[in-house]
Amino acid sequence: MMAKKTVEQKIVDPEYLFFEAKREKQFITGSEAVREAVKRANVDMAIAYPITPQSESMHLVGDIYAEGYIKDYFRGESEFAVMSSVAGAAMGGVRVFTATAGPGTLRAFEMFPTWAGARLPIVCDFFCRGVNSPLTIQPDTIEIGFMLDTKMMIFHAETAQDLFDMTLQSFIIAEQPDVHLPIGVFADGFFVTHTREIVEIPPDDIKLPPYDPYKSPVPAMDMETPPIRQMRDPFVMKSNFISYASHASWQQEILAAAERARKHIHKYLGGLIETENEGADILIMASGTAVSQAHEAIWQANQEGIEVGLIKFKVIRPFPTEEIKMIAKGARAIIVPEFNISGWLAKEIRSVIEDNSKVVGAPRVYGGMAMPPELIVEEIRRVAR
Amino acid sequence: MKQGSLAIRMSGLGGQGVVTAAHLLGGSVIRDGKCSTVNPFFGAEKRLAPAESYVRISDEEISERGEVIYPNIIMIFHPHVITLGKSYTMPFYFGLKDEGILIINAEKPLTLTDENSEDLRILKAKTFYISANNISMDITGTELSANIAMLGALIGITKVVSLVSMQKAIEERFGMKKFVASGTTAALDDVVKSKFAKVSQLIEKNVEVAKKAIEEVKEYPLSSNIESRN
Amino acid sequence: MNKGIIEISPGFEDVMPREYIDLVNDGPYGRKLGIDDLGTFKEAIEEHPLCAGCALALALRLVLASLPAIEDTIIVGSTGCSSLAFSQVAIHNIHSLFGNQNAVATGLKRALQIRFPNKTKDVVVMAGDGAIGDIGLETVMHSWFRGENITTIMFDNEIYANTGGQESCMSPKRAVLYMAPTGKKFPKAAMPEVAHAAGCAYAATITPASPKRLGKIVNQAILIAREIGSTYIQIYCPCPTNFKFKPSESLKMAKDRVKDETYLIKEYFSPEAREFVEGLEKGGGN
Repeated sequence: MMAKKTVEQKIVDPEYLFFEAKREKQFITGSEAVREAVKRANVDMAIAYPITPQSESMHLVGDIYAEGYIKDYFRGESEFAVMSSVAGAAMGGVRVFTATAGPGTLRAFEMFPTWAGARLPIVCDFFCRGVNSPLTIQPDTIEIGFMLDTKMMIFHAETAQDLFDMTLQSFIIAEQPDVHLPIGVFADGFFVTHTREIVEIPPDDIKLPPYDPYKSPVPAMDMETPPIRQMRDPFVMKSNFISYASHASWQQEILAAAERARKHIHKYLGGLIETENEGADILIMASGTAVSQAHEAIWQANQEGIEVGLIKFKVIRPFPTEEIKMIAKGARAIIVPEFNISGWLAKEIRSVIEDNSKVVGAPRVYGGMAMPPELIVEEIRRVAR
Repeated sequence: MKQGSLAIRMSGLGGQGVVTAAHLLGGSVIRDGKCSTVNPFFGAEKRLAPAESYVRISDEEISERGEVIYPNIIMIFHPHVITLGKSYTMPFYFGLKDEGILIINAEKPLTLTDENSEDLRILKAKTFYISANNISMDITGTELSANIAMLGALIGITKVVSLVSMQKAIEERFGMKKFVASGTTAALDDVVKSKFAKVSQLIEKNVEVAKKAIEEVKEYPLSSNIESRN
Repeated sequence: MNKGIIEISPGFEDVMPREYIDLVNDGPYGRKLGIDDLGTFKEAIEEHPLCAGCALALALRLVLASLPAIEDTIIVGSTGCSSLAFSQVAIHNIHSLFGNQNAVATGLKRALQIRFPNKTKDVVVMAGDGAIGDIGLETVMHSWFRGENITTIMFDNEIYANTGGQESCMSPKRAVLYMAPTGKKFPKAAMPEVAHAAGCAYAATITPASPKRLGKIVNQAILIAREIGSTYIQIYCPCPTNFKFKPSESLKMAKDRVKDETYLIKEYFSPEAREFVEGLEKGGGN
């Protein structure tokens, strides 16, 4: 049921909230950073289902619902149901938020291409965790590999600060009329969700402008636009050429919408990648907390006199193809440390650069294993020889 | 880890406040104007299941995260971590850096295997014992403040944070309406609070526990441990 | 819906399709029409692509004519024969996935309550027996447990007809069907009882062979869902294609099954729903 209380917050320009409002340092967990982002995001509805390590963040979103920051919140019956209800809410024209992790992602999987296909600007946080079997609840980024072809946009947070900024900024990028696609903000479970660190956040008496469903490229299902033969999702089941052609062109349009998101990502996230010393002979390319470990490894390598550059992927979909192609040209070796067994990031990089023998798909840890920076240093030493 | 920085691994059992202790320590470090990250690691949220948390402390910004593989300090909150292997790392001192510090919650020094004692001797590890449960019991009437006693012992040995900052962190931790670590931590918080008539009393008693532990923590040279058995 | 939004802009009258012009001039929006008025106005469905003699097509037509406020009704469908007809329906409708219809409807209804707090927007699930009784039962039952203000209508053709005739939980016992090559081993699922036990304020079964009664049931189910909570209607829709009888005999089949009590007509009210309906009958309601 709808919350009785409402909290007064001033609506401000997204640019002001993201870049100009004075930020205060807080020593909080990644889960708390999610709460702080949602509190300022003018979210209408949030739907939750428990799964470790996501639960804390959705408990906290429940708390701010009780405080009056969100109009509706409830626990759904499964991840598949939650992702479906979130779709229904988005089709009803409200701004909606949810989060899940690992096995929940897979349980709900059928909904993700459906969100993209229906052009729903849903923001969902994914707290990466290993998937069964055997059972694990520990960090592992394998689910991102599964998500790559859902046509959702995929952001990967390294820190609680990233998680705060990306979650908040995703609403504005996702809802651009020329984009209007779902965004998954991924963060490594425990390493980000349960880690307490300094996060700089703007005051909580301001929030984003509300979502305007009438700017959507596809109509809200509210019977407030001409209803004549109007249905969602796109439905082309008749067996004739025109139906195949419609389906094919619709998929291309979704990819094109993600392409059009690049300019908004540049504006709000400052680009799809971040680079340090990108002209170095040896580069590390990483996303998520593998970037944190790489930072430390680079410092250690520097002590040994080895120079190493770092490319941090903030965005995986759309993929920073041109950026990576260009940077890779000058490098002798590209080390790609990953927290999963499949090495999806190394594969992605190999697929876009000219000489993919440069790519070292290591170190790779999985199933909840830690990645000591020393493992990355070993790879650096190997390629530096 | 960069020079001047410190990595601490706390190993204990679910319900002992291993995660809370790490959050309190991190909060105190921040209060002292240094950088810190705090990272708990646990499986199913069950009492007496292995629980670990990691605290990194540095003068500079900290990038590395996750499990601390090579700690400078290991705090063992329960003898079962050693004797029953309730730990994410085996043996319990795995990864300890040279001249690292071990702080063990036990009434009396534990009998370690010859192999363990020899490893620790080679590492030049300094081993300290504290009867955290007894200190907690004597002052608060419960064992739930043993984690605070462990922090007291850490401060006594290393002065890594000031007692004032720790006191402030305790005040913030238990005075605040809500603290976020995990769902079950929140439930245990209510148990802790129910043991005291007032929150102010809880804070006062816990600070007393920390002070007592600062005084009582004792080093046991490993050599004497081996000698006593030989 | 404001009727102004569908009006044709001046100068466009001669380029708009006949069907659209008819809907604007003589459609059901904002008019109090019912089963008795069929044949006197432009209906919201036309040229359905379902089989000859399909009772589901008739049931859908009757349901659409019975909605208390078609201009503010949104349909949530699911995969199956019925979904093929929804693209021919002139009200907003969603086809998301197979079996998630009640979860989608939950989110949609709550979103519309947020956006239109002073207006009624009816969300009606219309799906087959496979979508409701089998693959989607979890989302169906949980929407009932939560008492969501939605009406769920099952077009019960007792089979997966759209995929060529497989057994569903609603197939009669002993029916020999695909995936039940030696006959179905368990009886038709007791969905009306399940609905009642799960907290539906109102649950009823009916067939299109009783159009007036069907109209009344649909109308009151939606009104109860607005005011009280979840409601469930199960409409028997004999399938001549898969059960291999003459297309002209669908209604006879419906009548016979009711008569010989192999298809049971049932009605369950919660006390609040009963009181509400009695109020309506006294003329106190909508």
